[in-house]
Amino acid sequence: MAEQGDVMKRITLLIVALTVGVSAAWAQAKPDFSGTWKLSGTTPPNYPGSAGWGVPSPTLVVKQSSAEVTIQSGQYGPTPMTVVYKLDGSDNIWEAPSATQSGTTAIVKWRTKARWDGNKLILFTWNTALNQMRDVVSVSNGALMIQRGTEQPGPSTNATLTYNR
Amino acid sequence: MRRRTLSFTAWLTVIAGSIALGPSAALQQRSDSISVKGGVGDITGDYEIPDPNWPQWAHPYPKPGYIWGSQGGVFAESPDRVYLANRGELKLPDKVPNGFPGNWGFFNQMAATQPIANMVNCLVVVDRSGKLIEAWNQWDKLFEWGRGPHQVYISPYDPERYVWVVDDMRHVIYRFTHDGKQLVQTLGMLDEFGENDDLTRFRRPTMIDWLPDGTFFVADGYGNTRVVKFDKAGKALLKWGSRGTGPGQFNTPHGIAVGGSPPRVFVSDRGNRRIQVFDTNGKFLEEWPGIAPHSMLMSADEHVWAVDSLTDRIVKFDLSGHVEFSFGQFGTRPGYTWAPHQITADSDGNLYLSEVFGGRTQKYRPRPNADPTKLVWGRSLMPVANARTN
Repeated sequence: MAEQGDVMKRITLLIVALTVGVSAAWAQAKPDFSGTWKLSGTTPPNYPGSAGWGVPSPTLVVKQSSAEVTIQSGQYGPTPMTVVYKLDGSDNIWEAPSATQSGTTAIVKWRTKARWDGNKLILFTWNTALNQMRDVVSVSNGALMIQRGTEQPGPSTNATLTYNR
Repeated sequence: MRRRTLSFTAWLTVIAGSIALGPSAALQQRSDSISVKGGVGDITGDYEIPDPNWPQWAHPYPKPGYIWGSQGGVFAESPDRVYLANRGELKLPDKVPNGFPGNWGFFNQMAATQPIANMVNCLVVVDRSGKLIEAWNQWDKLFEWGRGPHQVYISPYDPERYVWVVDDMRHVIYRFTHDGKQLVQTLGMLDEFGENDDLTRFRRPTMIDWLPDGTFFVADGYGNTRVVKFDKAGKALLKWGSRGTGPGQFNTPHGIAVGGSPPRVFVSDRGNRRIQVFDTNGKFLEEWPGIAPHSMLMSADEHVWAVDSLTDRIVKFDLSGHVEFSFGQFGTRPGYTWAPHQITADSDGNLYLSEVFGGRTQKYRPRPNADPTKLVWGRSLMPVANARTN
C-alpha cells in the first residue's frame, strides 16, 4: 500500500510539473511587441483609415506585460491616445473624447478587448461614436505587422500596416 | 446571364420625381401641397397622406426632451401588432423650434444617430392607433455598443412567429420568441466581424428573407459583399458573392427578397445601383439596373417592391424586372420620405415605411377606392401554432 501511495504521489507531481512547464512554455512563446515602432508601409499604399479612424499612426509605442498591452498612438482619432488592452480576455471600458460621424467631438464610451490566436494578438477597439477597429498583430522578420479592419457607418476598410523599430 | 434594361417610361417614372424636386428644395418648400394624382411626381400613390402623429406613443415625444432617432425597421405582423426598430433616442436642443413635428429629420440631420443616441425603446410594438402595447426594454442593452437594430422581421412561414432582429454594427442577427421574453438564437459573433469566406461571422449584415421550408438568406452586407444561405436551424450552408461590379459581385448588398416559382433570390446591390437575381444556390440569372434599394419586399401577389435609396421612390416590379408602378418623393413632410429603410404591409393593406434619416415611421392607409394593384400586400403569415389571436 505504501509503495502504491508513493507511485501515485510521483505521478501527481509529474502531472503538475508537466502542466506548469507547458503553461510556462506557452506563455513564453507569446511574442513581446514592446517597443517604439515606425510606420514603414501600408497595403494598400497610402491607406487612409476611415474618416479619421484607424489612420496609420507614424509611431506606435507599445508596452506589454503579462496582464496587458498598452498602445500609444494617433490611430484612435485626431488626438493621440494611450489605450490599454487586457490580456485576460476581459473588457476595458472608459470614457474619452472621440470624433463623431457628424464631425463634432463628444465624450463617448470606449471599450477594448484582446485575445491571442497562436502567436498573433487580436486587438478589438470600439466606441459609442460607432467606430470599430480590429487589429491582428504579429511579428515577422523583425517587423511589426498589423492587419487592420475598420467599421463605421460608412465604408469598411482593410489594410496591412508594417512597422519597423 | 441577362442584363435587363428598364423601359424609358419606367425609368422616367422612377427618376422624374426626384429630379422635379431635389432634396434641399423638398426640405425648404414646406408649404407645397402634396400631389394626389398618381404617376410621375406622385407622392403617396394610392395611399392617403399619413397621419403625422402616428404612432401616438412617440409623438410628440417618447419622453420629455427626447425624440426618436433613426428608424431602422418596421414589421407589420397584423394591423394591431406592428414592430418598430428604433436606433435610440436623441436629446432635443433646449429651444425647440416652433412647429417642430417630433421628427429628427426636421433638423436636417443627415446622420440621425448623432449626437450619441440613448439606446432605449429600441424594440417596441404598437397597435393600429400607434398605442404602445409592448416595449422590449430588457433587450436595449444589446444595442448599447452599436447603432441599434437595423431591421426587424417575422418569417411568413413560421407558425411560432419568432422575431428576427438584425444588428449590423454588432455583426449579429437575433431571434426572439414572439413575446420578446427570450432570446433563443444569435447568428454571428457579437462585436466580431469576419471576412467574405467566414461562415461563422458576418460583417455588418443587413436583411433576411425566407423560403417556405424555413431556409433563409442573409444579405451581408455593409462590410462583406455576399449572400449567406442558412438552413431552418441557422446552419450556414453556402455563400456567394465577392466585391466588384460584375455578375454575382456586390457593393453593399443591402436588401433581399425571395419568391417566385421556381424560387429566386432578389438582391439589392445598393452600391452598384442594381438588383441582381439568383437561383437559391447563388447562380446568377439576371440584373435590373438603375435602382439602389435600401430594402425590398416580396408581396403576396409575387411582386418585388423596392425602396430606392437614390430617389426615395417605392417601385413595384414584376418578377421579370418590369416596373409596373412607383410613387414617393424625398422630403420631411407627411407622406414624403427621407431614406425609407424597411417596407412592410399589413393584412388591411396599410403600408409602413421606416426612415433612417427622416427619423420616423409612417403608416399609409389606402385611399377609398384605391386600385388594389397599386397597394403593397404583405405575405400572409402562417397561422400561429398555439392559436394566438393577434
